This record gives sequence, C-alpha cells and structure tokens, in this order.
Amino acid sequence: MPEVKSMFREVLPKQGQLSMEDVPTMVLCKPKLLPLKSVTLEKLEKMQKDAQEIIRQQELALKEQPPSEKAE
Amino acid sequence: MEVTVSMDPLFLAWSSCRRRRFQRCADICSTLLAESPYDQEPAATATAAHVSEAVWSLKTRALTEMVYIDEVEVEQEGIADMMLDESSIAQVARPGTSLRRPATSQAGAPTPAVRPMTQSGRPITGFVRPSTLSGRPETMEQAIRTPRTASTARPVSSASGRFVRLGTASMLTHPDGPFINLSRLNLAKYAKRPNLCKTLFEYIFHHENDVKTALDLAALATEHAQFKDWWWKVQLGKCYYRLGLLREAEKQFRSALAQQEFVDTHLYLAKVYQRLDQPITALTVFKQGLDHFPAEVTLLTGIARILEEMNNMSSATEYYREVLKQDNTHVEAIACIGSTHFYTDQPEIALRFYRRLLQMGVFNCQLYNNLGLCCFYAQQYDMSLSCLERALALVSGDEEQADVWYNLGHVAVGIGDLTLAYQCFKLSLAFNNNHGEAYNNLAVLELRKGHIEQAKAFLQTAASLSPHMYEPHYNYATLSDKVGDLQSSFTAAQKSEDAFPEHVDTQQILRSLRQHFSSL
Repeated sequence: MPEVKSMFREVLPKQGQLSMEDVPTMVLCKPKLLPLKSVTLEKLEKMQKDAQEIIRQQELALKEQPPSEKAE
Repeated sequence: MEVTVSMDPLFLAWSSCRRRRFQRCADICSTLLAESPYDQEPAATATAAHVSEAVWSLKTRALTEMVYIDEVEVEQEGIADMMLDESSIAQVARPGTSLRRPATSQAGAPTPAVRPMTQSGRPITGFVRPSTLSGRPETMEQAIRTPRTASTARPVSSASGRFVRLGTASMLTHPDGPFINLSRLNLAKYAKRPNLCKTLFEYIFHHENDVKTALDLAALATEHAQFKDWWWKVQLGKCYYRLGLLREAEKQFRSALAQQEFVDTHLYLAKVYQRLDQPITALTVFKQGLDHFPAEVTLLTGIARILEEMNNMSSATEYYREVLKQDNTHVEAIACIGSTHFYTDQPEIALRFYRRLLQMGVFNCQLYNNLGLCCFYAQQYDMSLSCLERALALVSGDEEQADVWYNLGHVAVGIGDLTLAYQCFKLSLAFNNNHGEAYNNLAVLELRKGHIEQAKAFLQTAASLSPHMYEPHYNYATLSDKVGDLQSSFTAAQKSEDAFPEHVDTQQILRSLRQHFSSL
C-alpha cells in the first residue's frame, strides 16, 4: 500500500480560478402522491356506477324487447 | 325460517332497518303496505291505521338511508355557478381573503418546484373531498376542462350535477314507479304531523332530490312548529343552499344556532361562507363552534381544510395534528400530514403516516401508490416496486392507472432505467391521453435521445393540456433558447413566470433574453 501512495500524488491547485457554468437543464414534473378518497366520495361514486349499470341493463332489455314483440 | 315467519313483520322490518339491511326492510314494508295500503281508504280500526302509518314511515326511512350521503361533505359547483357568480364582492380579492386567490408567498407554502399543483393553482392535497374541486378557474376554457382531482367532469350547473343523477338513480330502481307520488302529496296535512313529516322530508330531500317540494314542506312544518323548532330551520337552510339562495340559507342557520347550539349547524353555516368565498368568516364560524364544543374533530378538520385551501400549509398541519390528538384514526388528517411531509422532503416520516393508514385497514390503489413512492424516496427500494405493483393490481379506473404508471416512470428515472421510464410514461398516456405531466417528462426523455422535434411537440401538447404547470413552459423556453428561436423562448418563459413567479431559472432566461433583445 505505501508503494501505491508514492506512485500517485494528490494534486491540489492552490491558486487560479475555479469556474462553473450554470447550464439550464430540463425539469421533470414531480412525482404525484394520489389523494385518498373520502367515504362520502366513494359512496357517491359507487352509487353513480350502480345507477349507470342499471341504466345500461334497462337499455339492453329495451333493445331485446322489440324483436320478441314482432315475433308475437 | 320458522322463527321469521312467526315474528311480527313490522318488528322484523324495524330490526332490519336498525341492522342497516335497508333493502330487506323496504321489501317487508312494501308487502305490508300492499296488504293494507296507507292513505288510500279509511282504515278499519285506529290501530290498523297507526300500524300502516308506522310501516309507511319506516319505509321512507329505509329508502332514504340507502341513498343517504352526508350533506355537510357534499359540494359540487357547476360551471355556471362558478363563472356567473353573483355573490362575489370584489373582482380581484385581496390576497389571503379569498379562496380564489390563495396567498402564494406565505412562509412555508409549498412551491410548484417541489409540490405539483392542481388546475386551480393550489398544491395537491392528500385527500380528495368533494369540495376540493371548488378552486375556481379564471377562464371559461379552463372551467370546461375536466378537473384532475376527480374522475368526473364538472357539470354545467350544480343542479345538473350529481344530485339529479342520484335522483334518477333512485327512480330507476323502482320499475313500478316511485314509492310516493310527490305531486299528489298533500303537504299541509303532513306538516301538521311532526312524527311523520321529518322522515318524509328526508325522503323527499335525499331520495327524490326534489328540493322545491322539500322546501315547501319544511316551510309549512316550521310554521306549524311556530318557528320554534331549530331542526326545521336547519332543513330550510339546507334547501336554500341547494337552490343557491345562500343569504337566505345563512339567515336560517343563524336563527337555528340562536335557538340551539349544534355542531352540524356550524358546519353548514361555514359551508355557506365557503361557497360565498369568505374563508375568513368561515374560520370565525368554526372558532365560535369550538368555543361551544371544545376540540370537536369535525370543526378542527374544517379549519384545517380552509387553511390548506388558502395555501397555509404549516397552520393546516397544526390543526390536523390537533385532530389526530382527539381522534388518532382520522384518515383525512393522517393522509394530509403524510403528503405534507412527503413534499417537504421527509419521505421517511410520510411513510410512517401512510403505514399507519395501512394498519388501520385502508386498502386501495392510492394508498399503495403513495407507499411505493415514499419507500422509493426513503431508499427502501425492495418494498417500492412491490407496493407499486399492488397499486396497479388494485386500480379501479383508467385515470388512476395512468397516475400509477406515471409514478412508476419516476422510479425508473430514479434508478436510471430510461427505457423503462419511457415505456412507463407512454403507458400512462395510453390510459389517460390528457396527462400533461407525462407528456412533459416524455419530452425530457426524448430530448436526451436527441429528438428535438419530437420533444418540442410533446412540450407543446403538455403546455396546452395543463397551462397551470410551469415545467412545460420552462422546458420549451430552454429548448427554444438552445436552438435559437428566441421569440418563442421569450413567450414560453413569460408563461412559465405566470405559473411560478419565484422560479429562479425562468428569471435567468428572461433576463438574458431581455439583454439580447435590447442589444439588437
């Protein structure tokens, strides 16, 4: 180990200027924590979803009805 | 089964109602009413009349409970209410006195550089309540856009919003028509019977959503009670609030409070002031309420919510902590404190709050997503991906899925796997094509690959999708500056300055551009 130390010596400049350019970089949008939902909101959404489901079923039933009436 | 057959059906119905089996209760009541209809013919005996009355009242209660939502929580302003606001006093309110223009330069207020903003220029919260949507946009165009915080688009007016849809929903479930035909109801007769008309009122208000009829009934009933019943005054106030007559609602609530101090009434009154965009008065109402009901959790939460909406995060957190001292399972408080910690660079503490939620039994996509992010930024890489995977498994809608993929993209960027990041952002866009943030990040990745034109296109899309974010504008400004298009760089930088005035890099670009232009 001491041999290696002698081989590489540290260079620390004691004078001269250090310059650094501030390059504008692109910005990423930040990670997004998802907000939790309140119980009321969840219930509202569930009721809406159920209602939409019922409407869809009723529409389906309506669509199926006319041919059977014609058949009669 | 023998037992149920021999049990008195009315008692059984009442018991099911108490055990929250409302559908069963309503069914039993229906059969009972079919046997001896109430209000059709004069009943044989007085007892029979009383019984069918009780059944009728019980059925209204069960049907109401099925669709009941806490009125204090519900708030949805339509576009018309927002843009054509009659009750606003000043066009440009002083900073700190209006929810519309929250004070931005307060100490401790998060900047968009660390915390993403919603469309209304407010940092995203840790908890969506229906009223989180009430941040008002400046232009009609912005108002029409779907708000990012909820999955539903904003309705044209509040009358055409959720309430109406709920009303039709309750109609649909009864193919034989509504249980009570409101237009044929003799309101004056019911108003004289206090035991019946309270349930009837709630039925009309919550189940049928016929606010005008409910208002008529409440007016008659309060008259019959000689204006001495505070309950009816609160109900009148609720009706006025729904109809948008805010000043009348305020009068009713104040009068009810004079008669009887009650937590709910304080909450309703504060809600009126919030709708009138007078947060300071709402805070006063809450504080008066706290004088009567010290350390009441709902009142404390109300204060914290208003402070949060006014960008005063540090005080809001104080109040949320106060809430947690009273009720240490309060989801909203835990979530809000957690997100504040996350965005103030303390993901380890945020992780503890979210873990607490998990212990309490909250089990959904949002929570796992937040846990995943917290784990990643707290350098617990082993948990992070499995949490996000579970979030993906629990997803309930496309928008949520898009957000989880977007966050996964961030994790990928963090570990330097840019191909995965690219795919994640692309997937996010596949699920939600209006995800401005994902477009912006894709643009940054494209630019690293050297595809300038593609990056430009993505940035422009991001800027048009979410003009409230400063990132796409700023990135566009830097990009155009590099390729020498100084004019568009300047306009983009100005937009970025509008969105985030304190951003130092934007200021630098603007300064150097101004120097260029003046030297020409």
